[in-house]
Amino acid sequence: MKRPIKALRAVFIMVLAVPCACAASAQTLKLPPHEKIVLKNGMTVLLMEKRGVPMVSVAAIIKAGSAADPAGEDGLASVTAGLLRKGTAKRSAQQFAADLDFIGAEFNADSSADYTAISGEFLTKDVDKGLELFSDAMLHPAFAQAEVEKLLAQEIDGIKAAKDEAQSVALNYYYGYLFSKHPYGRPVGGDELSLARIKRDAIARFYETNYTPGNTILAMAGEFNAPQMRMKIEQSFGGWTAKGAALPASAAPTPVKGKKLLLVDKPDSTQTFFVFGNIGTAENDPDRVAIRVVNTIFGGRFTSELNEALRVESGLTYGAEAFFDSRKEPGAFAIYSYTKNESTTQAIDLALQVLAKLHKDGVTPEQLASAKAYMKGQFPPSIETSGQLARTIAAHEFYGLDDDEINQMEARIDAVTPAMAKQVIAKHFPEENLVFMLIGKASEIGPGVRKYATQQDSRKISEPGFWPGAK
Amino acid sequence: MNKVSAALRGLVLGSLLFGAAIVASAQSEAQQFPVATKTLKNGMKVLVQTDHSIPNVALYIFYRIGSRNEHPGTTGLSHFFEHMMFNGAKKYGPGDLDKAMEANGASNNAYTTENVTVYQDWFPRSALNLIFDIEADRIQYLSFDPKKIASEREVVASERRTSVDANNGGILDEQLKATAFIAHPYQWPVIGWMSDIEHWTIDDLKHHFEMGYAPNNATMVVVGDVTPEEIFQLCEKYIEPIPQHAPPPPVTTVEPQQMGERRLVVRKPAELPLLMIGYHVPQTNHPDFYALNILRTVLVQGESSRMYQRLVDKDQIALEVNISQQPGFDATLAVVAAQPKQGVDPQKCEAAIYDELDKVKTMPISDQELEKAKNIRLVEFYHQMRTINGRGNTIGTYEVFFGDYRKLFAAEKNYAAVTKEDVQRVAQKYFGANNRTVATLIPENAEPGGAKQ
Repeated sequence: MKRPIKALRAVFIMVLAVPCACAASAQTLKLPPHEKIVLKNGMTVLLMEKRGVPMVSVAAIIKAGSAADPAGEDGLASVTAGLLRKGTAKRSAQQFAADLDFIGAEFNADSSADYTAISGEFLTKDVDKGLELFSDAMLHPAFAQAEVEKLLAQEIDGIKAAKDEAQSVALNYYYGYLFSKHPYGRPVGGDELSLARIKRDAIARFYETNYTPGNTILAMAGEFNAPQMRMKIEQSFGGWTAKGAALPASAAPTPVKGKKLLLVDKPDSTQTFFVFGNIGTAENDPDRVAIRVVNTIFGGRFTSELNEALRVESGLTYGAEAFFDSRKEPGAFAIYSYTKNESTTQAIDLALQVLAKLHKDGVTPEQLASAKAYMKGQFPPSIETSGQLARTIAAHEFYGLDDDEINQMEARIDAVTPAMAKQVIAKHFPEENLVFMLIGKASEIGPGVRKYATQQDSRKISEPGFWPGAK
Repeated sequence: MNKVSAALRGLVLGSLLFGAAIVASAQSEAQQFPVATKTLKNGMKVLVQTDHSIPNVALYIFYRIGSRNEHPGTTGLSHFFEHMMFNGAKKYGPGDLDKAMEANGASNNAYTTENVTVYQDWFPRSALNLIFDIEADRIQYLSFDPKKIASEREVVASERRTSVDANNGGILDEQLKATAFIAHPYQWPVIGWMSDIEHWTIDDLKHHFEMGYAPNNATMVVVGDVTPEEIFQLCEKYIEPIPQHAPPPPVTTVEPQQMGERRLVVRKPAELPLLMIGYHVPQTNHPDFYALNILRTVLVQGESSRMYQRLVDKDQIALEVNISQQPGFDATLAVVAAQPKQGVDPQKCEAAIYDELDKVKTMPISDQELEKAKNIRLVEFYHQMRTINGRGNTIGTYEVFFGDYRKLFAAEKNYAAVTKEDVQRVAQKYFGANNRTVATLIPENAEPGGAKQ
């Protein structure tokens, strides 16, 4: 393949734009019309009719993710989500799977740091059955002891399997080391130790506390009649009266001062996988559009400064990128690449030079124009399907963003000036304060990478866990 | 994203997601997704499907050349060549192609398999002319700059270290194929052996270009905010003047029938073991394709599938079990892969897999299972058809591997014809002990101090 398709991160929803009084420009891209209803029990419902293929997509958000995990029980939100389909008040796990598979439907539930996402998809002709299954899992999970034990054992082994592939755990180590004691430092899926501590009671409590109508956004998009769908949803969810506890207030993580480096030893590694950066931005940051434009130039596309330097011009790697993993509170900024053991410091030095050059030289008007065209040209396929649309409007609702995120996106991209780019670089891209995380063969690369930070930490990849900061 | 165990994710290396095939009402779906076709004077076939729902276009060019056209010593050349197609031609020099595309809102990628090399462009319709200009330039006038070749060699080496060295599924899959095929070129990895990546020459690349990149060896698919008329006009202007020449010589080697089980073991530092069992199955356009797909669905698709229920849910000996089958012009492999849990002997998983295979061989599947499998395929059809990108890839794949894109819309008929007895018959015919190669990865602690707990 010409370029890596396995992104380091799970797919997250691109949210763009900045509040500004931009002049209206010729726009081709608009969100299809949709309506918002708040049921009497407090559940928020979003409905969008979307023709094309005879399918219905559901995307629900429960406003509690891994950041709500109790300390030491990392992975609780994720395990709770994973158990929704593993048996309900009236169906065994096997029966649920049989009923779901028979209509070719999909049901997935997983947590991110900020929230738990539950998604479903089925043919329009199966909408009644599909909704019944979806609400059964969401409202009546049984959390049978046997299923709890089974899933926890699988998740623990899943972490071990992931450690056999450095790329798939690189961010767990980086986030743990970067965010340290802040809840964003916890591994979303937990680790070998925290999962072993989780008991059924804690799962049931997490569910009762957080899975309530007032905590839920339910978005649907696809081929259906909205008024009819509204009635169906009221039938399925209107009787849900659960009351939980208020969500704990979140706090912004503190950027790291100075430099520190974590080296994770994987003795059989032929390449070093490295990530470095610092605390980034929140999803609703007023600068978010300008940040995306600048990062597109810096590390967000094939001809980005980073990929040009580390791959195209030097052949040091198959891929180099930079990204902002934006969240409700400021998430991470990260520069990521990999290279053979012998060229580890050469590649990291080069990435640091590219970052220094961004601060020194900024971006050119040509680069700005190119990045704007690229972002506008590549955006439409990200809101092409009913599933993408349902997830997009649900996430906007969660983050308090409105339809102008999409409808004004082109105008907002066009409004980014060189002066704004300069400000954004100074404010949001780290320069001197950097957190490094490397996975590689320590005996070979260890001495060379000492120069990057005075604070050095190390661990073996076979050691359970990722970083004990949160414990 | 699906929560899939990391080791198994690496299995489908840059390949077509061919597991998904189709059930649909032949007439209504053909009407819903009409395709216009034209064969240019130089032999390139062009397929166009209009969809104005977003102002974008997906353009695919399938070249019928892949690692099966290679030879020992230059394995991986097709894939390396794919990389070189982005490194400069006559009008668009090194780096110009990507810069021009991105400045006009376009992105691109490509993939190489055993059978084909496929180029993908995704762009706003405003970039149509540019894309055709670029594609015509590189099909005709690719340049071979020794400096670019040297640096791209390093990029591909890094790609191999990532997808094979740092991926147990990648390592085991490579060893499995090298053992299951003793004669046919499917025996070497698409990315190539590392020593070949280090040693092929500029002449090897030039020869590959002359051999595979004839317009008459390619099929173009365009889906999105376009009309067939404008695409055919652009083709006449940019593509049709490119002269045709001889396509790659036919691959005549036929893998001899396997006459007994083969086994191999990989020992390396790892947290968990891994198991793969490969069975020889026929080429994609064989009539048994449909029954094999139904069998695969019954065995591993969804949590109600037989092998998931047995290995993951009931016996709790595996984290995941899967069956993959790459499309192929020639007889290929169906690979059953299981990720055993820690401490579980992979042979336990192996025994459970054979037991489940024996069941489908001795007793027909139920009517309910057959109907479920067909329903799952219908949904998969819509999954593939709901994006312009998915349609571009699927239409092209059917055209290239079945010889006719209309097979996509005839699939319902072909699946409807599959009976329980057909499923039983293909299980008996292909999933026997003498036809299998068993690959096991055993974790071995490289550190002093002995084995882990």
